[in-house]
Amino acid sequence: MSMVLGAKAQGKPKITLRPVLIAGLLIVGFWIVVALTIDVWTVYDPLKLVARKLQPPSFEHWLGTDALGRDVMTRTLYGARYSIAISMIVVVCSVAFGSLVGAMAGFFGGWTDSVLMRLVDITLSFPPVLLAMAVAASLGPGLQNTAIAVIAVWWPVYARLMRGQVLDVISRDHIEAARAGGASSYRLLTKHILPLSWTPTIISATMDFGQVVLLAASLSFIGLGAQPPSPEWGSMISDGAAHFYSWWIAFGPGVAILSLGLGFNFIGDALRDILDPREL
Amino acid sequence: MQPKHLDTRVVAARRRAVIVAATMLTSIVAFPTLGSTQNAGKPIVIARDMDLNSLDPSRAFCDTCQIYLSSVYDRLVDLSPDNKSIVPMLAKEWTANSDATVLTFKLDPKATFSDGSQVEAKDVKWTFERLKNIKGGMAYLLDNVKSIETPDKETVVIALTAPNSEFVGSLTAPYAGIINSDAVAEHGGEAGPEASSKDNAEQWLLANSAGAGPYVLESYSPNHELRLKRNDNYWGKKPSVEEFVFLQTKDAVSQTQLLENGSADIAMQVDPTTAKAINNENVIVETAPSFNMVYVAVSPGAKNLPHPLDAKIREAIASAIDYDGIIDLTVDGKGKRLPAPIPNGFPGGGIGEPIKHDVEKAKGLMKEAGAADGFTLAATYPNVNQYGVDYTLMMQKIQQDLAEINIKLELQPVEFSVWREKVNGDGIPLTAVFFAPDYYGSSQYAQYFAMMDGTVWYKRAGGKNDPSLANPETPKLLAAALAAQGEKSGELFGKLAGVLANDRIILPIVSPDAVFVSRKGISGLRFSACCNMVLSDIQAK
Repeated sequence: MSMVLGAKAQGKPKITLRPVLIAGLLIVGFWIVVALTIDVWTVYDPLKLVARKLQPPSFEHWLGTDALGRDVMTRTLYGARYSIAISMIVVVCSVAFGSLVGAMAGFFGGWTDSVLMRLVDITLSFPPVLLAMAVAASLGPGLQNTAIAVIAVWWPVYARLMRGQVLDVISRDHIEAARAGGASSYRLLTKHILPLSWTPTIISATMDFGQVVLLAASLSFIGLGAQPPSPEWGSMISDGAAHFYSWWIAFGPGVAILSLGLGFNFIGDALRDILDPREL
Repeated sequence: MQPKHLDTRVVAARRRAVIVAATMLTSIVAFPTLGSTQNAGKPIVIARDMDLNSLDPSRAFCDTCQIYLSSVYDRLVDLSPDNKSIVPMLAKEWTANSDATVLTFKLDPKATFSDGSQVEAKDVKWTFERLKNIKGGMAYLLDNVKSIETPDKETVVIALTAPNSEFVGSLTAPYAGIINSDAVAEHGGEAGPEASSKDNAEQWLLANSAGAGPYVLESYSPNHELRLKRNDNYWGKKPSVEEFVFLQTKDAVSQTQLLENGSADIAMQVDPTTAKAINNENVIVETAPSFNMVYVAVSPGAKNLPHPLDAKIREAIASAIDYDGIIDLTVDGKGKRLPAPIPNGFPGGGIGEPIKHDVEKAKGLMKEAGAADGFTLAATYPNVNQYGVDYTLMMQKIQQDLAEINIKLELQPVEFSVWREKVNGDGIPLTAVFFAPDYYGSSQYAQYFAMMDGTVWYKRAGGKNDPSLANPETPKLLAAALAAQGEKSGELFGKLAGVLANDRIILPIVSPDAVFVSRKGISGLRFSACCNMVLSDIQAK
C-alpha cells in the first residue's frame, strides 16, 4: 500500500501544531518577515560604511562592523533575502523539472524511461557539491548561476521519487478504468496519477530547503555565488574567515544559516509525520 | 646440572640486564646530543602562499620566484642592502664605454657553480641568450642587447642598441641569475634563436638547480613545499641557515597560526590588520617601507565600454577615489601614497603631490564629459590578498567612492589566471592589480606602464583599438633618461613619471609597507628591491 493511499485510507491528514512544527514555522516565518519588511525598519544601509572597521559588538552595532565598516547585523538580516529567494527558486524549479521527468519516465516506460533514468543516474553519480561547483564555475559567478547550478544537482532526486510513485499508482484499478473509458494520456497523468503521487515529493522538498540554503551559501563561500558587495551569508562568512580574529563577522551569518536550516528541517520533519502515517 | 643450568640462566639474565642498562645509558647520553643536533640543523620554515609559475630562471616571473632564484642563482651584480647601490657578485668589476653602449664584465675566477665547476663567460652568454630567446615574461630585461661576446673565459662584453644607464642595475634582477650551461644543456637546455620551442630543460629545473648561489634546490612539491639547502660548495660567504622550507599556506590567518603554534618560523604575507591582532610574546612583527605598488588601471580601449573613458572621465575617476580611506581600511594606514606609478625613492619617483580626493571636482569633470548621469563599468579583478591588501575589500571601497559620481562598478573577483586572460584579451574597463620591481631602476616602470608601443599596459589599455592613447613624447623621454647619467637621468625620469601620472591610466593606490612576522630568534629579514627577501641574510638562534 502506498504512502498516499495509507494517508487517504485514514482520511484527510490531521494537521496538529506539534512543538517542532511551531518552532519551525516561527523561525522560518521570522526570516520571511525580515526579508520582506527590512527596508521599512532598518537602521543602517547594508552596503554603506557606517562606523570604523572591525568594531566588536556594541549597543550601536549589535553584531559589530566588518572589515569595511558596515553593520554586520544589518547585512545578516538583509542576507535572508538571498537565501530564502534562492532556496525557494531552487526547490520549486527542481520539483517542477524533476517531477516532470520522473512522471514521464514512469508513465511512458520503455525507452523513454531508460533514457531519462540513465540521465538521472549519471547526474546522481557525481558528488553533489562538486557537480554544483563545476556547473557554477563553468557558468561564471553570480546568484542566478548559483541557482542554476543547485537546480542541476537537485532535480534528479525528485525525478526518482516521482517515477516510483507514478509506477505505483499507474497499476491501480481506477487508472485502468479511466484508460478503458478512453481518457487521454494527458488526462490520465494530470487528473488521475499526479494528484496521487505528490505527497512524498512535497515532504522531500520541504526537508530539502535547509540543504539548499547550505549548498548555496557554500558556493558563495568559495566565491562562486553572490558577488561583493551583496550581503549574502556564505560570502559574509568567507569575509569572516579572512578576518579570523574578528569573530563577530562570521557569527551573525553563521547563526542565520543554522537557524533557517533548522527551521526548514523542523517543518519538513513535522510535515513528514503528518503526511506519512507509516512513520508514526 | 640444575645449579649449572640455573647459573647459566642467571648469567644470561645478567647479560641481558647489562645490555639493557647499557642501551638505556647510551640512550640517555645520546638523545640529548641527537636532540641538540636536530635542533641546530632544524630547517627554517617559511609559511607563504607560493605563486611559483616555474623554477627555470628564463621562464619564471613571480614574487616567490624572486626569492628562490636570487638564493640559488648568483647574478653578475647584486643590489646592496641600501636598495640603490650596485655591488659585485659573479662579476668582480665592470666598465662601460663613453656612451654606455658597450659594457665589459670581468668574472670573479673564484666563482663556482654548486657542482664545483667554474663560472665562465660562456655560461653568462648562454644564460642571457636563453632568457632572450625563450621569450618568457622577463625577456624584456635584455630587449636592447645587440650582442654578447666572450673574448676569454673570464670576460663578457655586452653591446647595447642604445645607451642605457640602468642596464647594469637591471642585471641585479633574479631572472638574470647565471645558469650552469653545461649542466642544463645536458638536460635539454637550448639557448639558440629557436629556444622557445626547442628548450626542454624546464622539467629538469623543477627538480634540480644549476646555479652559483648560496643555496641549492633540494626538492619541490607544487602546492605543498619548496626545500632549499645550503650550497656546501658556495664560493662566497656561507649563509648561516642550513635549510629553508617554504610551506604552502594560503592566507594570513593560517600563516599566523602556524607561526604561533611553532610550526613555522617566518610568515611572509600577513596583513597589518591580522598582524595587529597577534598577541604572542614569542612572535615579532616588523614593518619596513617597500617598493611594491598596488594600483587601479583604467582601459579606454577595452571592448564594449558603455561610455568612452576619455581623459576627463579618467581624471574624474582618479579624483573620486578616497586613497587615504583605502590605505586606512586595507593596510591599517601602513602604506604610502605615490604621485606616479614609480615608487618613491626610485629615479624620478616621489616627485610632486599625489592626486587629491576631490569628489566635487570629479562630479564637475563628469558633467563636462557629458556623463553626469553616470554609467556602469565592469570591474574584474584578481581575488587576491597581495602585500597585505585584500583586493575585494579595496574594490568595494572604490565601488562606493565611484558611486558618488554615478559610476556603478560591477565587481567581478576572479582567479589570477582568469584575470590575466581577460585583461590581455578584450581588456577590462577598470581593474586593480600590483607590481613589484625586479631591480632598482625606473625604466622597468616605463617599459611596463607607459602609453607607448610595446609596453604591457599600452596593449591592455587597448592601445590598438585607441591609438590616440599613445604619447609620442614618452619613448623620446625614456631614451633621453636612459642616455643620461646621475641627476640628469633622475630629472628626466621625473618628467616621465609626470607623463605616466597624467595619463590617468595607471592610478597608484598605495605602496604598502612590507610586514615581517617571525618567531623570536630570527634576524636579518629585510625587503630587497630586486629579490623580495634575501635568504642568505637570515640568521636563526
